[in-house]
Amino acid sequence: MLHTEPDPVLLEVYRHRFAGVAEEMGVTLQRTGYSPNIKERLDYSCAVFDAGGAMVAQAAHIPVHLGAMTASCQAVLRATDTWQPGDITILNDPYQGGNHLPDITTVSPVFAGDTLTFFAVTRAHHADVGGMSPGSLPLSTTLYQEGIIIPPVKLYRAGALNKDLLSLVLRNVRTPAERRGDLDAQRAAHAVGERRLVALSQRFGLPEILRYASHLQAYSERMTRAAIATWPTGTYSFEDCLELPSGDAPVIRVKATIANGSVTFDFTGTDPIIRAPLNTVLPVTQSACYYVVRCLMEGDIPMNAGCLAPVTVKAPPGCLVHATPPAAVAGGNVETSQRITDAAFGALAQALPDQVAAAGQGTMNNVTIGGLDKAGQPYAYYETLGGGMGASSLAGGLSGVHVHMSNTLNTPVEALEMQFPMRIREYSLRSSSGGEGVHQGGDGIVREYELLRPATVTMLSERRRYAPWGLQGGKPGKRGRNTLTCAGASEALPLDGKFTKSLEAGDRLRIETPGGGGWGLRP
Amino acid sequence: MDELVGIDVGGTFTDFVYLRGRHLIVHKQPTSSHNPSQAIGHSLDKLGVGAKAAIIHGTTTATNALLERRGARTALLTTEGFRDVLVLGRQNRPQLYRLTQKRPPSLVPEERRFVARERLTSDGAALIPLREEQLHEIARQLRDCGAESLAVVFLFSFLNDTHERRAAEVLQELLPELKISLSVDILPEYREYERTATTVINAYVQPRVGRYLEHLAAALGERPVWVMQSNGGTVDMPLAAKQPARLVLSGPAGGVVGAFTVSQDAFQTKKPQILTIDMGGTSTDVALCHGAIPRTAENTVGDLPLRLPSTHIHTVGAGGGSIARVDTGGVLRVGPKSAGALPGPICYGKGGTEVTVTDANLVLGRLDPDHFEAGGTLATQTAYEALARLGSLLERGPEAAALGVIRVANATMERALRRVSVEQGHDPRDYTLVSFGGAGPLHACELAEALGVRRILVPRHPGVLSAVGLLMANITYDASCAVLQPMATLMPHPQPLTQSVASLGRQVSAALSGEAHITAALDLRYQGQSYELEVPLRLPVSPQHLRTCAEGFHRAHLQRYGYSAPHRPVQCVTVRVQGTLPGAKPALPRAPEADRPVSEARTGNRNVWLSRSGAQEVPCYSRQRLMAKHAFAGPALVFQYDSTALVAAGWHAKVDEQLNIVLHHDAFADAAH
Repeated sequence: MLHTEPDPVLLEVYRHRFAGVAEEMGVTLQRTGYSPNIKERLDYSCAVFDAGGAMVAQAAHIPVHLGAMTASCQAVLRATDTWQPGDITILNDPYQGGNHLPDITTVSPVFAGDTLTFFAVTRAHHADVGGMSPGSLPLSTTLYQEGIIIPPVKLYRAGALNKDLLSLVLRNVRTPAERRGDLDAQRAAHAVGERRLVALSQRFGLPEILRYASHLQAYSERMTRAAIATWPTGTYSFEDCLELPSGDAPVIRVKATIANGSVTFDFTGTDPIIRAPLNTVLPVTQSACYYVVRCLMEGDIPMNAGCLAPVTVKAPPGCLVHATPPAAVAGGNVETSQRITDAAFGALAQALPDQVAAAGQGTMNNVTIGGLDKAGQPYAYYETLGGGMGASSLAGGLSGVHVHMSNTLNTPVEALEMQFPMRIREYSLRSSSGGEGVHQGGDGIVREYELLRPATVTMLSERRRYAPWGLQGGKPGKRGRNTLTCAGASEALPLDGKFTKSLEAGDRLRIETPGGGGWGLRP
Repeated sequence: MDELVGIDVGGTFTDFVYLRGRHLIVHKQPTSSHNPSQAIGHSLDKLGVGAKAAIIHGTTTATNALLERRGARTALLTTEGFRDVLVLGRQNRPQLYRLTQKRPPSLVPEERRFVARERLTSDGAALIPLREEQLHEIARQLRDCGAESLAVVFLFSFLNDTHERRAAEVLQELLPELKISLSVDILPEYREYERTATTVINAYVQPRVGRYLEHLAAALGERPVWVMQSNGGTVDMPLAAKQPARLVLSGPAGGVVGAFTVSQDAFQTKKPQILTIDMGGTSTDVALCHGAIPRTAENTVGDLPLRLPSTHIHTVGAGGGSIARVDTGGVLRVGPKSAGALPGPICYGKGGTEVTVTDANLVLGRLDPDHFEAGGTLATQTAYEALARLGSLLERGPEAAALGVIRVANATMERALRRVSVEQGHDPRDYTLVSFGGAGPLHACELAEALGVRRILVPRHPGVLSAVGLLMANITYDASCAVLQPMATLMPHPQPLTQSVASLGRQVSAALSGEAHITAALDLRYQGQSYELEVPLRLPVSPQHLRTCAEGFHRAHLQRYGYSAPHRPVQCVTVRVQGTLPGAKPALPRAPEADRPVSEARTGNRNVWLSRSGAQEVPCYSRQRLMAKHAFAGPALVFQYDSTALVAAGWHAKVDEQLNIVLHHDAFADAAH
């Protein structure tokens, strides 16, 4: 593939050029997107792939998209016989290149004359794709309850919209106008990516562009392998678990093997698929492992296929981290991906005790509150809460932040109270919830809601029964806790980590999020 | 005003621009970290500045106090239940892929965060009234912890200021020495974290800035002093001392104001379209002016939000001092690490050992080692040896390595320029690149070519343009308050808004102590969004003007985000009022037309590397001798006291009446005909 040695200056210049293309696609998507998920929570990713489906550059926002974008591109390549300029393929099927249904991916070819040169790929979290509950993150038991399933199909053919397909999709979602707008935004991002890639090849010549795309992948692979080669070889095992309302605690088991500048994560032995929305498809599991490895790299290695090549992820089909149809996967993205990350870090901590941090809060504490407001209008409010980050050999963990696979913003209390019939009684750090150690884990958060009108509350949270672990003798962080104090009552009742409940005006829901694990035995 | 002095204190140099009648005198001197105000006083004496000359001052005292965490012992008083708002922030972590992350220490540690039992509801009513007895206990704790400065931020105070004001009254009486900053004075807008952080920043830097300005006033004697704010306008000393949070981002503002006013003059237009690039030692600031100086209130300083209006500038870590290295994968990287002012580039001979962009420019023959900025000299030989070592890692000669360093640094700056232009919906080809800072004019041509820019302006004094901008700045004051009403409600009944504007107008006029020219703007958004766009509102407030403002919002949304939704309800979040007193706005000296040929400005030739094919003889000009209407073609170098410019092959230079150099490219010149 590489006929010549890369020029070390041009390599750096092309790093900026390709990263610039992905970044401009991302900015376009954000500028033109409709839903708050895209515009404010930045829940999207944009990438450029080569004609063989290997990633050239990705504008990184969301760790859970790291590996999953590649799976999408390759699923689309498998499903497509011929490409024409102006084609855009759409998909969200977790079992054919997607990760969960709200994430809709689009893939389009870039041509130079008759030659297919690159693919532009975008993925955005759409606020609703139908299914049994608004927001499409239901407490489901099979995929069919989670929304419309779109296998890789062409939404545009040679620039012409497939209107029938679009009508079918839009008829299956709760907010069709917003979906339409977000899909248009994705198309706009493709147009920008294509324009920039064509301009680059016109200015510098296609052969040079293609050569440097490969050179960059080789460079990232070289850098990643060189870093892994410094890790102690061997096989390291770890296990961690999820918490089901039934009391069950399905286990995720991983064996990490470091050898010859590469690392393999083998999830053989993980518990089978569960009848809850906490299974993950293999690309999500891969993303979690890629994220883990990326956290252990020094410097900023350009994100492309080369970073992924030294990392192998194995999981037998039918286990909960390699779900098979029709297992439910809606929450796998938000909660299980955190536990996979914990398990993989737990294994590598044995090889890299000075680099790996103790477990963070390991959950996103998803809260949904819905009811009728003062004017009798229905409302639905969704938020996620931060917690403690794990401590490491170098420092304590940050307090009150999102960890690992999530990094979204909170809603200001003043904004919340002006818009919804609720009052926040307390929003503060949860003192001493971080695990003790030479370095202390970060503290969790306390958030107490007082409902001003009756409402239904749904909570999806983890680490309520099993605490985030410490490392090297550091103590675990405090477990999270959800409690309810009914109007007029003085005593707080304990609640489970996952529940749906109808509450009355004056009821107070208090959520205390987990602290991060501590690092090092304190004498 | 007969005499006017702009004094811009930077990290390395303090720049003086002294306008006396029709003469502009430029002076640079190393910044004294020891006693800056005294050093300034001495320089003015040396320059012979009169005792009545007006001083316009740009200072980084507030910025540095904040970034270096050398501010006051600050305490914070908040509503019970919300003690940690400042630390919780927006609950995102600063870096996505780092297992060990540290935050700079909080401006207010836990033991100095106090709460008062009081609560307002979301419509401003007192759910829990403030009881004054508890303030006596809080005063005792404040005294015990040795707090010098206090920020008071209560939930929903922007709807009802009585609790904050009463708390301040009681505490001030008990603790007369304590400096108190109230959120209702600093930023009466909604969003508790942003309001808290901004108020705390003010409290934190206030004592230090106050002392600095006192010393400065003593050193300057009778001379009236104005201080540059982040928003590109100036205020008088007492106001600057009271609300120093308004100064924190003033550093790069002077340069943009300077570039903008110089361009207005040069291109004979009130609304020039320019891309500014200010290349300094450690970083480069870029901004896009679409006919006006761009403003934003969405600023972040270090890890904290600062929601006061500022010039909208994007900064990247590439400057003359940026360090070049070959990474373990064999790739040449430049920055963001910088050699700074000390030890600085290798060629400064102050102990620097790592190759920087300045070293690369020197080795390529693009700098004059005997006459560097402000009369310094550069050590060519050591820089050459270091580039040779870097080159051996890249398997190339020292000059080819130096060309690589420049190219990589330019790639970073090009990305920054794309960020403020292409990514905001503006085509850079419609703009003139205004390049300044000591090093900017060396890199301008290559950047312009990469972006398709057809015209470049190199100001007469590129190295001190920020100080020139000080002379040009208006005296301004911004005030704002929360509105949070649908436009549909305000349009038929604009009285509440009329009152807000009137009250803000009075506040602004009082602050400026003069008949200010008042303008207003509204921060608008579609109902349900959580970010706003600032849209000008014509005064007086009337249903018609509100309608025009709403229409302006739809257009701005379309321009910025690619769509608008004229049928969706629009919400007014904040009203902003700006008062302006015209600044001195002196006419810069105009040069007489050339009475001698351009050849007399030629100082000879230098061997310069422009490409890897080797050095070539390049004509050199002395900027001082260049006169209006002189013209020459690239490649050429122009040397001057505060900067060096490279005119690349294919570019034509022409000197205008203000002695700016305006460059046009061949390829585009044809297209223009």
